[in-house]
Amino acid sequence: MRLNRVIYGDVTALDLLSVILIFLAAVILAKGLTIYLRRTLKEKVSQDKLQIISKAISYGIMAVALIASFPILGINPSGLLVAGGIVGIIIGFASQSIVGNLISGLFLMLERPIKIGNSVRIGEYSGMVEDIRIISTSLRTWDGLYVRIPNEKVFTTSITNYVAHVARRFKYVVGIRYSDDADKAISIIKNLIEDHPIALKKPSPQIFVDNLGDNAVNIVVRMWAPAQEWYELKMEMLWKIKKALENEGIEIAFPQRTVWFANELSERELRDTQN
Amino acid sequence: MNTNADQSSPQSPGDGQEGRRSPSEGTHLYGRHNLPLSISREGLAVSIEQAGETWLYRRECNGNRVEKKLLTTANTVLINPVEPLNRPKDITSYLMVEFERPLMIEPGVRRKIFLTFPIEIGIFMPSKKGLEIIDVLTLQKQKFTLYGDPRTGVICKYWKSGIHAAEPQVNSIQQGIMKLNIVNAGDHWVEATRSIFNAYGMKLFYDDDMVSMKGTMRIVGKHMAETEFTNAPLKRDMTKSIELYTARKLVVAAPKFIMEQGL
Repeated sequence: MRLNRVIYGDVTALDLLSVILIFLAAVILAKGLTIYLRRTLKEKVSQDKLQIISKAISYGIMAVALIASFPILGINPSGLLVAGGIVGIIIGFASQSIVGNLISGLFLMLERPIKIGNSVRIGEYSGMVEDIRIISTSLRTWDGLYVRIPNEKVFTTSITNYVAHVARRFKYVVGIRYSDDADKAISIIKNLIEDHPIALKKPSPQIFVDNLGDNAVNIVVRMWAPAQEWYELKMEMLWKIKKALENEGIEIAFPQRTVWFANELSERELRDTQN
Repeated sequence: MNTNADQSSPQSPGDGQEGRRSPSEGTHLYGRHNLPLSISREGLAVSIEQAGETWLYRRECNGNRVEKKLLTTANTVLINPVEPLNRPKDITSYLMVEFERPLMIEPGVRRKIFLTFPIEIGIFMPSKKGLEIIDVLTLQKQKFTLYGDPRTGVICKYWKSGIHAAEPQVNSIQQGIMKLNIVNAGDHWVEATRSIFNAYGMKLFYDDDMVSMKGTMRIVGKHMAETEFTNAPLKRDMTKSIELYTARKLVVAAPKFIMEQGL
């Protein structure tokens, strides 16, 4: 009997209960579908596309549930156009930053300067993109910290995407002694890079004497690697270069200064004249 | 990774007992073998031995040793060449074969040449859905390269091959033979220095002496060509290899590759 009680207009408590049940069913259906999709498509679709698909399905089901509940609640959708306009203005003023983040989120999804799983730097934060939601983007920093950045900030700040291109270059500066043969050192480094599978054949690596420093002959070593693999290669190669050079008798130079003492010079001159 | 077990070539002698070899007969590497298994070749040793209730898989390749326990009720293993793009890492699905010398091609000319390509060997165990790969090994030196520029180009597995007028003599554990039909459909002489292939579409065939592929490179402009594979063996009675690059992704890339950043 209580369920037939009128709440407002023609809407009864039963109608309200029906709407709640519709939403509950929609939530369960959306959740179940997204879990099913993630399980079945995990190895077939990239992570970022999977997120977009599951979000589109989830939001789509909720939107259908919302539209389906309008007649039960006695809401005329055409009336919403007028009401929505007024409400929109009010909400717009009240929640400028949220709307700003939302619009930025939509533009981010359209422009796609970053994708889920990319290694990026956004403003002062560096890490891996974990999620791009409508309001915010979350990163996992290299130290494993969770950082949530509002989309408005992501959209207006500078973004460096380390893996947007398929390959990237990095460099070392290797300083050898003046007494060592720089040509031999270059040849050793070249062979080492040639032997490494991940160091790309083309673009060709560049190895050359860059400058004659105060304490060392500085050899610049530049090589290209697949964007996803470059850091592993960078960690590996420098020590290999050092060991390969040392095996061939070429040593890494360290800062040194030759000091001449004035009295030692005069003593030497005296000795020379006596002899 | 699941693969379809029913991929033997129409020309293959069959997939039954007559195709199986016991370890004592194990003179050939490729094919289906009964367990226990022990095969040793130049720089390569594969063995699967019973260790109580389980099997112990051991392999040594170029001094690199791997041991795995196998919990299986199967009593056979399949060894066959796979697309040479899995080692040292599955980074790309493109193989670049660079020619030792540039190839000048007259307009309208259609010629067949023979190239070599690196071999990777897959070890497959039976499963409910067919065959599943448990290991990939290779005796070849690995190298990657970039085709095109870093923004629009692709990372490719790199291989350098001579251009041969007839099938070259190669060691089938290390190198395969590709028959490539080159067609210059353009109006100008073209200099080709390389050919790039997509692993989705690669069709490998093998017998006791040879691993082969057949492909086509159709040159459509001075800097553009398309490559694809033909689903046919180089000789009769060759067996088709199990393909790893099939429908691993929902959106499968077209098996053709368009070389639009230079030949």
